[in-house]
Amino acid sequence: MKQERQVFTVAFSLFIQSLINGLNQGAIYALIALGYTMVYGIIRMINFAHGDFIMVGAYTLFYTVPLMVDHGMPAWLAVIFAIIVCVIVGVAVEVIAYRPVRGAGSLSALITALAMSLFLENSAMVLFGSNPKSVTKIFELGSVEFFGAKLQVKYLLTIAIGLLMMVALTLFVKKTKLGKAMRAVPQDKQAATLMGINVNRIITITFAIGSGLAAVAALMYCSTYPRCTTDMGSMMGIKAFIAAVLGGIGIIPGAMLGGIIVGLVEIFVKVYVSASWYEAITYSLLIIVLLVKPSGILGKNVGEKV
Amino acid sequence: MMKRKLLSVALSAVMVMAMVSGCGSSAQNSAATTAAASDTTTAAGTTETTAAASGDEDNIIRIGVVCTLTGGKALYGEGAKNAVTMAAEEINSSDSKYKVEIVDIVDDAADSKQAVNAYNSLEPKNPEAIVGAFFSSVTLPMTELANDSGMLLLATGATNATVTIDKPTVFRNCFIDPYQGKMAALFAKDLGATKAAIIYAKDDDYSNGLKDAFVENAAGNGIEIVYTGECTTTDTDFTAQASQAVASGADFVFYPCFLDTVPLFVQQIRDAGYEGVIVGGDGWDGSDTTGLEDYFNNCYFTNHYSSEDTSEAVQTFVKKYTETYGAESLNGSAALYYDAIYMMVQAAENGGGTDTASLVAGMTGMSFSGVGGDIYLDENGDAIKPIVINTYEDGKIKFLKSLAPEK
Repeated sequence: MKQERQVFTVAFSLFIQSLINGLNQGAIYALIALGYTMVYGIIRMINFAHGDFIMVGAYTLFYTVPLMVDHGMPAWLAVIFAIIVCVIVGVAVEVIAYRPVRGAGSLSALITALAMSLFLENSAMVLFGSNPKSVTKIFELGSVEFFGAKLQVKYLLTIAIGLLMMVALTLFVKKTKLGKAMRAVPQDKQAATLMGINVNRIITITFAIGSGLAAVAALMYCSTYPRCTTDMGSMMGIKAFIAAVLGGIGIIPGAMLGGIIVGLVEIFVKVYVSASWYEAITYSLLIIVLLVKPSGILGKNVGEKV
Repeated sequence: MMKRKLLSVALSAVMVMAMVSGCGSSAQNSAATTAAASDTTTAAGTTETTAAASGDEDNIIRIGVVCTLTGGKALYGEGAKNAVTMAAEEINSSDSKYKVEIVDIVDDAADSKQAVNAYNSLEPKNPEAIVGAFFSSVTLPMTELANDSGMLLLATGATNATVTIDKPTVFRNCFIDPYQGKMAALFAKDLGATKAAIIYAKDDDYSNGLKDAFVENAAGNGIEIVYTGECTTTDTDFTAQASQAVASGADFVFYPCFLDTVPLFVQQIRDAGYEGVIVGGDGWDGSDTTGLEDYFNNCYFTNHYSSEDTSEAVQTFVKKYTETYGAESLNGSAALYYDAIYMMVQAAENGGGTDTASLVAGMTGMSFSGVGGDIYLDENGDAIKPIVINTYEDGKIKFLKSLAPEK
């Protein structure tokens, strides 16, 4: 009887730990997915270079975290530099590469985004070398015991930041004048222009916000997985893209929900099914959702405009 | 009609171009190897006549050396070249009955095709034995050639299990991949561990080899395997496997994977609450521990050799090498090539001659004592030798001890 109870306790603490691990990973995916979703929501373009903004953020952290520590400041403040660098890169990519091809159709935009992704990855390889870099420890938060499971406070923090960002973004888009303009642009670009909205400016601001989120995601990523490689963005980008589509691309709570689902599915498949199956199962989940509800879990079924 | 003719002319022009450029590059290569050769003969200071054909009993062992002198892994070849030269000088100035002559040191460029060219370029110089190469992929095509012509080939760092299989004239003085798994199990017993968790990369031969050998040898060493987890070489998330390893109650974690994922794994399993021993293989060598210094406490990995090894043979070698060539190129490759030259001399003593057949006979089943410890060549020609166990102190690699196999 006693032994049975012990087995149960271990199983339960494994479950709790997996839940937190999944939510942690999901929150990181969600932060990246928010960037995809915002850009898609405004200009109906999939910014494949978005994953690489994370890479830019991670490398910025790699170089700035030791600086912060040397000057006696908390390491996480380095995220300010990461946000600045990411916003500059994001806006530059938009203005230099995407804006000129905006009128040329969605295929051109897509190809440009892929090219931009490769360009960023290869520039990073030239600048930083191809060896992986280890980021110095960012948080010294310790852990809490919960039903026998050791939960890292930084994981909980990541989840909280993810939720906070989602709520803040939703409020921003719903309540502010800028948010209203953001919602107006995708509905009718010309009408929006006639209403006195500077469409290009709105798009640039969207990219700035998306890139800033990528920097925050990079901070959370590096606190759990303290390593940057030049190609880290592509895999993360794909996972986050799946998350965005799963939840309904263009919808902010959808990105959050999609991210959390992808993160949880990955961890639970690894723990309870088989570690080698997790990617296959994640991708099949996407296919199933797209078959059943093509607009994503939270997406509204709108007829295609002809 | 005209168009087709034009096309064929263009095509043949391209073919000619390709042939010319092909010749050009190989000519360049052979020029480079000759330069390297003349360089080494002078460095080795061998005054013996080089005219002696193989087979004549002149008590000189004529050795060809293959190593990596160009490309990203050139540091291994540099160490090898220095060590071979140093060993030859030592032997020739000693009162040993048998002397060595390094007929040539050729470059394999860490490439399997280049290795065949390098091997063939040694042929006209009539070597009686060939030493090399350091990488499994480079060595494998050479073993085929050596086996066909009955040449004695002594590989150094090639750890792939198939290198010596069914090739009676091919030997090596390093251990094979699975051997590290076996020794890790022995080390676990040494530490008093009873419950082991293994996390290995399913998509990697090396990792699978180490894992299988560990599993095979676990029960015999009183170790129960409580959890086996899979990952891939590209994974960054190990939280799932880490939490399962913790839940399994393991007191020993074996992670036979490569250096790039080691810091991620170590951090995540420590974060999951595991404070026990973590052990890896030689793939751990060079792992970045920056910022994770305290996480790496109580971590160990097995390796071929450590320059901090306190044994006399190692310290003499390290001292002499660093005085002559500096510490930068002093690596495992240098130690293995150094031993290889001495093994040739011992093979000549055992076999009673310097022709290839006597050397092969002398090398088969040889026991040898050198920088790499006490080596014994098993029935495949693979080295059974003590393994070095390193640990970490403040994030820096520190020699712990060398562990000898149980007879």
